[in-house]
Amino acid sequence: MRPLIHMANRVFVTGVGVVSSLGYGREAFQRALLEGRSGISKVSGFDTSAIGREFAGQVHDFRARDWLTAAEARRAGRCSAFCIAGARMAIKDAGLDLQPSGGERTAVVLGTTMGEVALIEQLDRQWVASGANSVSDMDVSRYGTTLLPIHVARAVGARGMVLTLPAACAAGNYALGFASDLIRRGRADVVITGAAEIIGHVQYSGFARLGAMAPEHCQPFDLERQGLIVGEGAGIFVLESEAHAVRRGATPLAELGAYGIACDAYHITRPHPEGEGTLHALREAIRGSGLSPNDVDFVNAHGTATKANDVVEARTLNEIFGTRRVPVSSIKSMIGHCMGASSALEAASCIETVRTGWLPPTMHFTQRDPECDLEIVANVARQAAHDVVLNNSLAFGGYDAAVIFATPGKIPAEAPMLR
Amino acid sequence: MTPLAITGMGAVTQGVSGRAALESLLRVCSVGAFAPPSLFDAASWPGLRVLEATDFDATRVLGDKGLRNIDRLTRFFLVAARQCLEDSGLKSSGTWTTPMSGSRAGVCASTAYGSLESMVELHRVALLESPRYLNPAKFPNTVINAALGYVSIWEDLRAINATVCNGNCGALDAVLLAETFLAGERADVVVVGGAEAMHEGLCLAFHRLDAMSGESDVFAPSDLARSRGMRLGEGAVMLTLEREDHAIARGKTSCAVVTGFGTAFEPPVSEAILVHLSAEALARAIRSSLSDASLTPADIDVVISSANGYAPYDRAESEAISSVFERSMPLALAKRVVGETLGAGGAFGLAMAAMVVEGVRPEAVAGALWPSQVRRALVLSTGFYGNATAVIVESR
Repeated sequence: MRPLIHMANRVFVTGVGVVSSLGYGREAFQRALLEGRSGISKVSGFDTSAIGREFAGQVHDFRARDWLTAAEARRAGRCSAFCIAGARMAIKDAGLDLQPSGGERTAVVLGTTMGEVALIEQLDRQWVASGANSVSDMDVSRYGTTLLPIHVARAVGARGMVLTLPAACAAGNYALGFASDLIRRGRADVVITGAAEIIGHVQYSGFARLGAMAPEHCQPFDLERQGLIVGEGAGIFVLESEAHAVRRGATPLAELGAYGIACDAYHITRPHPEGEGTLHALREAIRGSGLSPNDVDFVNAHGTATKANDVVEARTLNEIFGTRRVPVSSIKSMIGHCMGASSALEAASCIETVRTGWLPPTMHFTQRDPECDLEIVANVARQAAHDVVLNNSLAFGGYDAAVIFATPGKIPAEAPMLR
Repeated sequence: MTPLAITGMGAVTQGVSGRAALESLLRVCSVGAFAPPSLFDAASWPGLRVLEATDFDATRVLGDKGLRNIDRLTRFFLVAARQCLEDSGLKSSGTWTTPMSGSRAGVCASTAYGSLESMVELHRVALLESPRYLNPAKFPNTVINAALGYVSIWEDLRAINATVCNGNCGALDAVLLAETFLAGERADVVVVGGAEAMHEGLCLAFHRLDAMSGESDVFAPSDLARSRGMRLGEGAVMLTLEREDHAIARGKTSCAVVTGFGTAFEPPVSEAILVHLSAEALARAIRSSLSDASLTPADIDVVISSANGYAPYDRAESEAISSVFERSMPLALAKRVVGETLGAGGAFGLAMAAMVVEGVRPEAVAGALWPSQVRRALVLSTGFYGNATAVIVESR
């Protein structure tokens, strides 16, 4: 069997930052999820009257200055501000001080779908209304998906690689996966990683025009599901090599297992009907972690509540687990589909599940869909085995990515990724 | 790093399609190709000179089916990727040559402002008409990674698909992702590169930075005394990367090989600024790439410069080179030929490096005398925000 990753090096999550429609920080976020609270509300910030939909998972109470310096707040767009806020929370959670090391071996790898989409819309409105000369210099310089990790690197004192991985709705898992490679292959000791997304008029209208958006409730895997609800937020993590974490006496929240990625190469928005890429990604994540499907205790599913996604995802999970009933949940039922940030926010929840044993519920679940025959954690959180948790994601572009989180030490030493 | 053979190449820029055309372009270097923009109203931009792929026609390579909803950037990527796979002998007439298959092949490439065209196009429909009239078939193009999603669909690349965004450094950064995937045996072949499409918004951004060289200004990358600014270009370069053993096993024995990678970030001293051209970051990236390849500065024969004609940009590179090398270095100036292509810039640099270590003598050069033989080339990318990346390419 071929090893996935060569360097023998465990990677730990030592800090988590969350910006979400259900609050800030991993514990408050998970508490809200376990209570089954909804972050879905009426859209503010743009007119939805012509769109035919009016709900979203917006972060209404985010004030940049609560987390950013005045200078940062001036130069960062809303998406970057989410990243900086999440990174500050994660660094604090990890008790990490990058000053002594100088930050050269700290990288920043962030995912997104559209980055500063609201700034582009603002620029374009000014341009259309009053011409190119009217566009503000500040707005021009603040746009650029490249800037997300730059802002974070400046905020936390990282001086290694800076990189944005735009991998649509799999962006969080992509970033976590590549970040873990940087550590395992010895190119970094610490990586600040994760993903962020904000809602723009274009995305909101686009999902509505695709006929993919539900009117009010997101009901993953339910027979009556009507589609997704767009959301926003950020999930940012501190990943550390085992050696680095041990050296500074850090307590790991969870161990990052292997990741699997693939591309369906089938359709730009629809998943492969047999879930070919997803199956590959899931298998590689499990196999690379030196585990078998029997070891997986819980799946935090992509579960968008669109007809196509949920059927294909259920089919692939059943193919992986066979007759074994593994608990599955989709937190999109509470925070909506936060696009690029979705798998990062789900990762934050996975880490809390690994830590506490509480599985978040899938809300608004009323009627089983025979085509989505899964052990859904329906409407009420539950406590269960929690040593190995799988985070699954699919995305536009045919992207598939899955990541394993585990109780530290539960990944066997002979795992291919540790060789 | 695990050495990676460059076994194929595809390219799109003005008047260029394919490896042979790119090679001849690098040999002749005609700066007269920079002209007023044709993709948007030139009257709004008096004196602006850019290099557009004006004669680009994707249907000549891809046929005329399936392109209706595909934007300019994606067309660049599609054409360059197809040429690249054919050039490397992995595909013939669009199908994999045995024993290669799409399940072991991937793509990993950069764009800095990829979806700008589609985002603005759709936003204008929503703004000026109604969100009800957004074309749902074009909505996926607003997602930055959609372009490479199409590349996977058209070329059956299923093992890996990763889009990289790090401004000017992205295409060189894509090399590290590819190396990670290839060394980890997630794929046997990864198509790596970058693309950028001309857009009026980019002209606005660099005009506001006062970084553009107009019609009457001197455009001379790396000439710090004379050059008045940069000129934007567009296009794509894709290169096939594979582990050396994999390349040799299929008879590719004398390819250029990527042997070193380094990247760094340095923040500006002032909290107030965003644009920051860092000689220190680039010098650290160069040193890191040398150490990665187990080489010393004396081992490098030439530098594939990222100088674009904007003096503060070129000065940072010049200082970085001086701080690492104790001698004056011969520089090849890719951007004098194709302009500043941002997310694709490093890919043009990589292509040029692969050619010069195989014996091609570029026309656009500066610095020390070009050596009679080039064994090792250092490719540079300076970012606009304190980011920088360097890659080493050697002949085998």
